[in-house]
Amino acid sequence: MPDNTIQQLKDAMLALDMDAALKATNDVVKSQSKPAVKEAVDAVTQALGVVGKRFQEGEWFLSELVYAGEVAKEVMALLSPLMQAEASQSRGTVVIGTVAGDLHDLGKNIFINYARSAGFKVIDLGVDVPTAKFASAVKEHKPLALGMSCLLTSTEKELGKVIEELKKQGIRDTVKVIIGGAALSERTAKDVAADAFASDAITGLDIIRKWSAAR
Amino acid sequence: MNFKERFLTAMNHEEPDQVPVMGLIMDPATVNKILGKKPVDLIGMLQKPVLGNQIKNLLSSNRFWANMFYSNFSGAMDAAIKLGFDANWAVYALMKLTRDPQATVGWSWYDPYGRVWDLNTDEEGNISVNYSRALCDTEEKWEKWVEEKAPLFETMLRNVAAFHRKLVKNHGDHIYSIGYAAPGPFENSWQPIGFVNFTRLIYQKPEFVKKVIAFQTDLCLRNLEAVMKSDLEVVLGGDDLGQKTGPLMRPELIEKLYGESYRRMADLVHQHKKKFVFHSCGNIYALLNKFVEWGFDGIITMEPTAGMDLGKVREQVGHKLVLIGNLDVSYLVVKGTQQEVEDAVKKAIRDAARGGGYILSTSHCHPAVDPVRLKWMVDAAHKYGKYPIAV
Repeated sequence: MPDNTIQQLKDAMLALDMDAALKATNDVVKSQSKPAVKEAVDAVTQALGVVGKRFQEGEWFLSELVYAGEVAKEVMALLSPLMQAEASQSRGTVVIGTVAGDLHDLGKNIFINYARSAGFKVIDLGVDVPTAKFASAVKEHKPLALGMSCLLTSTEKELGKVIEELKKQGIRDTVKVIIGGAALSERTAKDVAADAFASDAITGLDIIRKWSAAR
Repeated sequence: MNFKERFLTAMNHEEPDQVPVMGLIMDPATVNKILGKKPVDLIGMLQKPVLGNQIKNLLSSNRFWANMFYSNFSGAMDAAIKLGFDANWAVYALMKLTRDPQATVGWSWYDPYGRVWDLNTDEEGNISVNYSRALCDTEEKWEKWVEEKAPLFETMLRNVAAFHRKLVKNHGDHIYSIGYAAPGPFENSWQPIGFVNFTRLIYQKPEFVKKVIAFQTDLCLRNLEAVMKSDLEVVLGGDDLGQKTGPLMRPELIEKLYGESYRRMADLVHQHKKKFVFHSCGNIYALLNKFVEWGFDGIITMEPTAGMDLGKVREQVGHKLVLIGNLDVSYLVVKGTQQEVEDAVKKAIRDAARGGGYILSTSHCHPAVDPVRLKWMVDAAHKYGKYPIAV
């Protein structure tokens, strides 16, 4: 494996060059070197961190955020089978889903891509998730955070229902709740008693990182 | 001044007698509440095995669909007139009811472009419809789809012209029924394919993307032609180019992929001696100068929950674009107090109405918008919107 392969991987990701990123990753895979695999995974995490920062600063846009996530997903698919158990240790579990009556998942899926690459274990409940399923997933996985996505104003009320259900089952205090979606705001988070509102996937990831660090 | 003179004066960047008020009423829940009508529980009927199939067959008839769709917008115009609006938007859509195991209620609308629209209902049985997913996630599927749907596009375009002509004929003495040629080439190119897939194609198969955009641009221009058959002086077009924090794509990329499409749309409308107002949700500050460059005459929406501040937009492009909208629909016209609604109306008038070029409106519509609050909004506009502006 050439010496600069890891740098090439990172550069390719930041240039949104899928072919170059996969070529560098294949070089890492062929090397069968466990330290190199760890370095490559770290490079993906670092590159996505830069992408997220560029997005938050308005330098990059949603399509670039999405495509960088897609490049990372394919790179990680090659690296994952070679990752050692300790390298894939989770920074915490996040349960996430789109609320009942709502089938939108773009923002949720962007978050999942970036959160997994950042070392979080993500349980994706999918779309149109009933209240009871959110609650039972919190009970089962004991996550650091529960994320609820909601694009439609008409389904906003589902957010409050889930939080009420967590209270009813006595598990509200065991989990941080974060909400996101086009129709939502800080005001919604306050209204439904969520812990945080995220205006985009990267902000959401930043919030969860802070929660993870504060544990 | 009557409603039309008022609207057109503001569109001309001149001061009318009072700030015009435009409605974005179209959801059956809002229409039925305003008109005191009971909703037809279509979803409930679809759940019944025999009745469901009968309804499906009925809706497959173009004549029945056209009448049903017209009836909803005719109601929307009546509702807007009742509340005192000067204008209201109108958009035609052609949908095919399809059994769909992925859908919330087991049925979805499929549109001619290759999009799935999820059907839902509120407690009273009012139907609501929202884009849910793409049907053509590969090049091959998209090619096959547009080839198969060619006759449907022709039906749709014929229906569009008839729909807008009829609305203006039947309601034009009381309200300015502005036709909206929606969606535009941006939404029509990515939504049938899906945003993630489409983004991948931009980087990996740019020639295919160009082909999709060219196809959708031609179709959109024909849609605009059809809408303009109503013969009103203003026509709406649009694409949701923004999300909560900024444009969905880099403005330079939007220019590269869609700039020519938008210029052609504006040019076409101008050739007909009409004005072109563009709708886009989301945070679109980075695109405002592009809108001017592309030749748009106005913009409608300016979503406050995406950070759009009317005063700031007015300062940036208000002398070049007529501004319509900006009143919040996430809280203000859903749960806001009368005082809050009045304050928001006063602020919008103060920020944008001096010298004309502002038409007061909500930033969008959805089924939870409360007609009582819409009426407060209209009343406040009448109270504080008289020229010369004194708020």
